[in-house]
Amino acid sequence: MKLIRKFLTLGLVALTATGAFAANKKGELKLFGWSEYVPQAVLDGFTAETGIKVSYETYASGEEMLAKLLSGGTRYDLIQPPDYVAEALIKDGLLTPIDQSKLKNFGNLMPEFLKMPHDPEQKFTVPYMVGTVGIVVNTEKITEPVLGYRDLFSAKHKNRIVALDDGRELAVAALYVLGKDMNDFSPANLAAVRPILAEWFPRIKLFDSDSPKTALLNGDVDLGLVWGGEAAKLWQENKKFQYVLPSEGAHLFIDLLAIPKRARNVENAHLFIDYILRPEVSKLISDEFPYTNPNAAARKLLSPDQLANPGSYPTTTRKLDTFRHIGDVGSAIDELITDLKNTK
Amino acid sequence: MKLSPIAKRPLLPTGLRLLNWSLGAWTALVFLFLYLPIAVLVFYSFNTSKLNVVWEGFTFKWYAALAENTPLLGALKNSLIIATIATILSVLIGTVGAWLLHRYRYRFARSIQTLVCIPMIMPEIVMGISLLILFTVSQLELGFTTVILAHVTFCFPFVLVAVQARLHGLDPALEEAALDLGATPLKAFLLVIMPCLLPAVISGGLMAFTLSLDEYIITVFTNGLESRTLPQEVFGLARKGLNPMLNALSAVFIVTTVAFVIFSEYLRRLAAR
Amino acid sequence: MQTLPSANAENPHARRPGLAGWLLLAPMVVWLLLFVVAPMAILLVYSFCTRDDLGRVVFSFTWSNYARVFEPIYLQVLGRSVLYAGITTAICLALGFPVGWFIARQRAVVRNRLLLLVMIPFWTSFLIRTYAWISILKSEGLLNATLLAARVIPEPLEMLYTPAAVMVGLVYAYLPFMILPVYGSAEKLDNALVDAAHDLGAGPVRAFSEVIIPLTWPGITAGILLVFVPAIGMFAITDLMGGAKVAMIGNVIQSQFTKARNWPFGAALGIVFTLLFVLTYLGLQWRARRARS
Repeated sequence: MKLIRKFLTLGLVALTATGAFAANKKGELKLFGWSEYVPQAVLDGFTAETGIKVSYETYASGEEMLAKLLSGGTRYDLIQPPDYVAEALIKDGLLTPIDQSKLKNFGNLMPEFLKMPHDPEQKFTVPYMVGTVGIVVNTEKITEPVLGYRDLFSAKHKNRIVALDDGRELAVAALYVLGKDMNDFSPANLAAVRPILAEWFPRIKLFDSDSPKTALLNGDVDLGLVWGGEAAKLWQENKKFQYVLPSEGAHLFIDLLAIPKRARNVENAHLFIDYILRPEVSKLISDEFPYTNPNAAARKLLSPDQLANPGSYPTTTRKLDTFRHIGDVGSAIDELITDLKNTK
Repeated sequence: MKLSPIAKRPLLPTGLRLLNWSLGAWTALVFLFLYLPIAVLVFYSFNTSKLNVVWEGFTFKWYAALAENTPLLGALKNSLIIATIATILSVLIGTVGAWLLHRYRYRFARSIQTLVCIPMIMPEIVMGISLLILFTVSQLELGFTTVILAHVTFCFPFVLVAVQARLHGLDPALEEAALDLGATPLKAFLLVIMPCLLPAVISGGLMAFTLSLDEYIITVFTNGLESRTLPQEVFGLARKGLNPMLNALSAVFIVTTVAFVIFSEYLRRLAAR
Repeated sequence: MQTLPSANAENPHARRPGLAGWLLLAPMVVWLLLFVVAPMAILLVYSFCTRDDLGRVVFSFTWSNYARVFEPIYLQVLGRSVLYAGITTAICLALGFPVGWFIARQRAVVRNRLLLLVMIPFWTSFLIRTYAWISILKSEGLLNATLLAARVIPEPLEMLYTPAAVMVGLVYAYLPFMILPVYGSAEKLDNALVDAAHDLGAGPVRAFSEVIIPLTWPGITAGILLVFVPAIGMFAITDLMGGAKVAMIGNVIQSQFTKARNWPFGAALGIVFTLLFVLTYLGLQWRARRARS
């Protein structure tokens, strides 16, 4: 029993404190990123030019990244957090400031993606890729216009809809319909969201965050609330899949590059970020991942077809909103969604 | 190998023959069920389209792409190494554990028995995260060692339970006779008990190997960079969109093993010649 | 008759272990302490904690996580998971038992090969297998096309993203874990015994219910354990083939550690879930012992 207790105390210490491992060799970069998000050609090109070996460890969800980062085992040099996670990391002092004077390609970035709410002074992060959440419609099956969330989740489309399996995205859609701030999850707003979602849920045929395009391609559904990148791939496959940003408002997400506080190779991390910001390198990422490229110089290198893809570069007159760090409200949203799925 | 009485006997009671026949037909149907998706995925591995949606034309290009994809093949190698070592350890721990729990009346036998079953019920994410914390605390660098430790933990209970089912009702006189004849307990175990347990050990080992090969969540949390496994690679690729290259990989793997299993007798004879 | 695989329940010859007996068992016990008990202990501590803004665990003491576990929502989720696992187990038993038995009746060489063939489909990746099932069951899929061509149905059936599709997926995933243990205990039986039952005039049904089932009972119970227990926590199949429309206990626990980032609540769910299992298991063993004596 004593042994177990000793072990446990150790555990508590390790989670809060920092562990120390054998020193890394020079000329190395430990990149912890979304799986497949950084093309192999980019990694190879960087190593060929600088001699710095990149070890690319991957995760499939932002939370997986956070869990491994916070456990303090491996000391990563560069991570790819989504905007709202970066905001929390900045707030908790877990990131190293980025020295923009070392990034000679920083000017390639479009100003509209800089100094955003998650990093108002643009001190800790650099945008990697940007995306939206919107509506994709199979125009061969659905002929009337679908402009917003109300049209998408209307009773007419019962059992023909795929939606992201992500409580926050769904709750945000309902907040937009109500005309409220998409980051305001006050108890009153959550209560107001519930009846709307309760009405929508029975009409949704399936929830899928990982590959919502599959059900659309298979013809099992005709409409969806999906990631812009997924819609872009559908459009590449067949132009009948049209993507629109909902008229009520839409979520814009930014995947960032950031350097953790405990990074060992801060210098190399800067070199890598600067390499990514080169137009010809950034283009390689756009070729693999048809999300929105925040790099103005890189956009000039893209083909007209790439730029015309509504999934990657949707047109909108309305200002898009980004997620803010919402603390432990995530738990309440999760409970709401579980409850709604139960009563179905 | 001696033929079983069923195969040897020319005349069977009608009822029994009917029973055997219907059992065989049933088994064939179940095998059809097991191999139906495999047939489909092999079929799509020859499809020119990137998506497993419609048939567009015949191609070998995914096999060519597979041969060039070193990360994928590396991950397959890692998976096989991890699964093999985890299976050997699981069989060792599970078989010996089952035998000891059967042979001796331990004070905490029931508690131990219950503990053994816990890894089976524990949700993967819970086990994955708690092991991650454990390994971080003990300053074990994540990699082959940690992932194998984790895999053995959820694999060996399957071996133990399978072997226990076999031990159940085993004639206790068997070991005693061997001991009376002067065999040491170890010899008695290896020469008398073990052959009798072998079918259960094989099926337990097969289950362990399969579970280890296919585990994703626990692996993610306990694995490091150098020992990336195939499921990790596949789930990663799924983000970009699955492509028939993965079907090709499965096809190569399955077809080789099935062919090997079917022709193993022939191969054995060939080797003996 | 014993209801669960358990330690030396029926071995009257079991001895008190000497030093050697304990030493031999030690590796397994140490393994269990390190990798099962220690993680459970960490989890237990977490389950009384709270979380901070970022989702990190804060070491304070609260019962609130446990209070939340027993809210009707989560009990309903647990009930549904047990129901799905139960149906899966029943179907696996019905499908798998004859197969395990049949394989055990073959020559030794054939036996081992058939056994391998049962397991090999599962050496592909889970995702790839599941996507193959999706392409069979989808509305323009293989099964619908076949049924339409055979004029069995007038229009495509909606099969994918229904509870039926989930059952297909679950049964497929767990079937080998029923076949293998049944085989393990059926292989032990003497063919002569079965033949004798027939020679004595027992029809197939009576031979089955009075000879075959009782003799393979340990294998059946082991199979039930190996299918039912892991199936309760399964959720990837309900997500992919059922369209994630209903919540499963494995699902809910998973999202506490990921999306909701509420580790303490996830830990409390995990602890209660495991305790319920342990109590049921011990209860069944206790009943079995009483029934014997």
